[in-house]
Amino acid sequence: MSKKLLTLISALVLLVMVLAACGGSAPAPVAPAASSGEAATTAPAAAPAGEKATLKVLVHQNPPMVEFMNTFNEKFQSKYPNITVDMSVVNANDLSTVTQTRLTANDVDVVDIFGFANAAQPYMKNVTPPNWQTLIDAGLLMDLTDQPFVKNYDEATIKDAGTYNDKVYAINLGRVSYSGIYYNQDLFDKYGVKVPTTWAELVAACETFRSNDVSCMTAGGKDGWPIFVGAYGLTGALYPDQAALVEGLWTGATKWNDDQALKMWEKMKVYTQDMMESGASGIAGDAAPGRFASGEVAMFPGGTWYAAAIDAAQPAFKWGYIPFPGSDNADDNKYLFGKYDQGWAVAANTPNKDAAMKYLAEFSDPANYQAFANAVGFIPTQPGATLDTAIGKAVAPFLANFRVGFEQYWVAPKGAGQYANPWASYFKPFGTFDDPKELADKVQADLQSGLDANK
Amino acid sequence: MVNYHFGRGRARLAPYLLLLPGFLFYLVISLGPSIATAAYSFTDATGIKGAPVHFVGLENYREFLFMGQASRDNYDALLRTLIFCFFVTTIQFTLGLVMALIVNQKLKGVNFFRTIYFMPVILGAVIQGLIWSLFLYPMGGPMAQLIGLFGLESEFLGGQPAQAFAWVMFVQIWANMGITMMIFIAGLQTIPTELYEAARIDGASSWSVFRNVTWPLLTPVTNTNLLLNLIGSLQAWQLFLVLLGYRNGTQVLGYLIFAQGFGQTSGSVTSSFRQGYAAAASIVLFLLVLVIGLTAQTLLKRREERIIG
Amino acid sequence: MSTAAATRPATKKASATRRIDWTKVASYLVLIVFAIIYLGPLLMLLNTALKTLPEFMKNATALPTTLRFENFADAWTKANFPRYLTNTMIYTASATIIYLITAVFVAFPIARGYVRGAGAILTLYVIALFLPVALIPQFQLMLGLGLYNSPVGYVMLFLINPIGVVILVNYVKTLPRELDEAAALDGCGYLRFVTTIVIPLIRPAIATVAVLHAIGIWNELILPTIYLTNKDFYPITRGMIVFQGVYGSNWPTLAAAVLIMTLPMVIIFLVLQRQIVSGLTSGAVKG
Repeated sequence: MSKKLLTLISALVLLVMVLAACGGSAPAPVAPAASSGEAATTAPAAAPAGEKATLKVLVHQNPPMVEFMNTFNEKFQSKYPNITVDMSVVNANDLSTVTQTRLTANDVDVVDIFGFANAAQPYMKNVTPPNWQTLIDAGLLMDLTDQPFVKNYDEATIKDAGTYNDKVYAINLGRVSYSGIYYNQDLFDKYGVKVPTTWAELVAACETFRSNDVSCMTAGGKDGWPIFVGAYGLTGALYPDQAALVEGLWTGATKWNDDQALKMWEKMKVYTQDMMESGASGIAGDAAPGRFASGEVAMFPGGTWYAAAIDAAQPAFKWGYIPFPGSDNADDNKYLFGKYDQGWAVAANTPNKDAAMKYLAEFSDPANYQAFANAVGFIPTQPGATLDTAIGKAVAPFLANFRVGFEQYWVAPKGAGQYANPWASYFKPFGTFDDPKELADKVQADLQSGLDANK
Repeated sequence: MVNYHFGRGRARLAPYLLLLPGFLFYLVISLGPSIATAAYSFTDATGIKGAPVHFVGLENYREFLFMGQASRDNYDALLRTLIFCFFVTTIQFTLGLVMALIVNQKLKGVNFFRTIYFMPVILGAVIQGLIWSLFLYPMGGPMAQLIGLFGLESEFLGGQPAQAFAWVMFVQIWANMGITMMIFIAGLQTIPTELYEAARIDGASSWSVFRNVTWPLLTPVTNTNLLLNLIGSLQAWQLFLVLLGYRNGTQVLGYLIFAQGFGQTSGSVTSSFRQGYAAAASIVLFLLVLVIGLTAQTLLKRREERIIG
Repeated sequence: MSTAAATRPATKKASATRRIDWTKVASYLVLIVFAIIYLGPLLMLLNTALKTLPEFMKNATALPTTLRFENFADAWTKANFPRYLTNTMIYTASATIIYLITAVFVAFPIARGYVRGAGAILTLYVIALFLPVALIPQFQLMLGLGLYNSPVGYVMLFLINPIGVVILVNYVKTLPRELDEAAALDGCGYLRFVTTIVIPLIRPAIATVAVLHAIGIWNELILPTIYLTNKDFYPITRGMIVFQGVYGSNWPTLAAAVLIMTLPMVIIFLVLQRQIVSGLTSGAVKG
């Protein structure tokens, strides 16, 4: 029997391997068995213009974005009555897995693509390329280079967040800044605090608030990343050229425990231990905007994406937004660091190419794009568009100084330890470290260990 | 193949034929993909259609077990996994048994209590996480107010790694004690009442009744429970995800593997499809759980045979 | 009846006062303490569900000033609950029933040694308890079988649950073997024996496994995200996503949605629990 069992198992392995290997020739997904009531399901064959088509769109969950897309889809469908848009929403955490499975199953036409940024650089040894690069290399994303709607976007955006090997694969929908601080206008007025433009002023402002029993800063410390993302401005003020920083770390020209870095760690210690309110480390990332909007905290370091959540939690709340003043020189503090957020890409073997192109063209129409930017709060990537919301006005003066931040360039070497990042969240109470020098050495050692392993 | 009473010849095939559907489902849907995972672990597979797959030998294992500081971090996670397993298993097992004994008495309202203790199991990990995030909300949540009465303050889940880790243990036990209890209750119900009556007539103390009647007769469910607790705690990851997220100093292997397989190891969005590496990591965990689980299974079986015969 | 209650006959000290059953008192004490630990967080969920977001942020613990049942209405409509709830019920019921039937026919012969290699098969199931999650290979398999985006395929994913088989095997072992012999002598066939005699006898174990299995299906989130992309097939967990945001969740509405989502499962459990209890008290299991 056990022999038979073995045979059975090996047959099974073969079966699975064969199936895995010939995934490409796998039959198209079965048509849903139950009648859908309204929408007809996609015909597997190509749908030429004029014929009915169902366009499958995949986006990640971001409430204002999803709300906008629902309205947009309805408008789109009334303009093109023969195209039905079937948009599905997944958690941001699951987006990459679902993109992977749905592209494999030929079950999606337009995908929300995240983190399309700098590819792995030649000086990075033995690293795994980012997801989008893998998808393109596997031939799963469509070349959009010659599509007219691409011209609607900034050249720089298309180049930085959509081009790979001289071909355009994605249009990026907007940038976000994460290196700013939201401040509570009423509390600033009440205690006569001037909006800080240097590190010293920021420290002084916090002292004023604390002496009046007002918490200085809050952030979603429980999730970790809001703490270090909040302090990216600090890193940015000390290392204005983040691309050079990344290359320096890889080549060894820059170290996380040299003098410059030590300054950064010392300030981070102040930021995490003196500026953050006690209890911040227990606040979940998605609760932090609400905490700030409750009016009990003076400042909230965080990305432009929080603006919508703050307004939703307390519509009458008055706030402002400034770049994180990480340096003592006010001139170094005029940069906003951030990243390109999501973009649209199209599945290479979509049977609905025509519909997909119409969809993106419609989306990229300046009026629609403007409405989108307003709804979502992205810093626009179309030259004609402006962000009319409060957060848009707040960041407008700094847009000329917008820079892509560290984490968009950084790819960690394999084998590097878990501390190999410039993260303020390593300090107590969010992490376990108390001494900047000790932490600096640990961070560099963790990084070095990865660099050495790939020599 | 002794003592089959239900006929010979073709009739003898009945148990085989009826076993087949369930067994086949298991082989195809569960075992097959797991074996494929083992095969993946020797490749650089991305899990993406059309991407080339190369055989890389033991490279993924080398990276997970021996490469740089990252591998040393993995050993820390392994150690935490064992600690988590030890505490969760012992406490959950003991509590489950004690509660089962109490709830199994003829008391008014036991049904109510039994239902309450089982409630978290029904809710599932995501909701358990939500509930405790609310309850342990440090800015004026119920627990914060409670300890505030004693002049204390805590960040609970956001506290130091050891503290946060302890909270996950607590929630894990809170969440799953109900299952352990239920299985014990089912076992207690199979013990014939006559045995207790006989023991009582002999004037045995409650402890000696427990020691000599209940405990030995509970052996099969004891084994089931111990095994389930061991495996459940060794493979736990969901509560870590919903309560803590990926935080240094708190990860256990199960969560580490999930996070790496899904590219959720940091705040970074540029994760990669590293199915081969994730597969190698999960095979390592599999072997660990297998060794511990099978050892326990063998020991328990020996004990069962000794007691029940 | 039970151990703790089976206290040593009370010492013969004839006291005038009514005897206090200390075991009982201690038992209730423990029960109540644990009830607080279990109910407290659940009540917090209810409390949150009845608030507005700003109210929650101002004071998380305080009772709501006005009961906001809008949160529930909001959750009901936004998440398309009626439809998704129906789907979830169909998936849960069909998968649980099919699973249980197949599992009994796997567990019984293994426990009795009625099939060759019973030990090997059981070992395979025990090993299955440890198996790594194989999400992507499983997806590739289902896709290859044409079972992607199909309710049938989705239900098939839940026809395995090694834990259930192990529990059933252990339970069957407590049934006396003489039962089989006697039934066979009466001319009972294998199929009829298992369906009409064994299944009723192991009802407590079946109920336990049914509850555990159903809970798993009910709460599953990642599998429907991957396997069911047609909205008409969405289970209820997939509707919950409406309330979550990466950058700011509306906790009160989320709490309300969670409560609506779990209520049916709680009711099912309550019904089944009575079933377990009645199955047990009927004394069917006694040797």
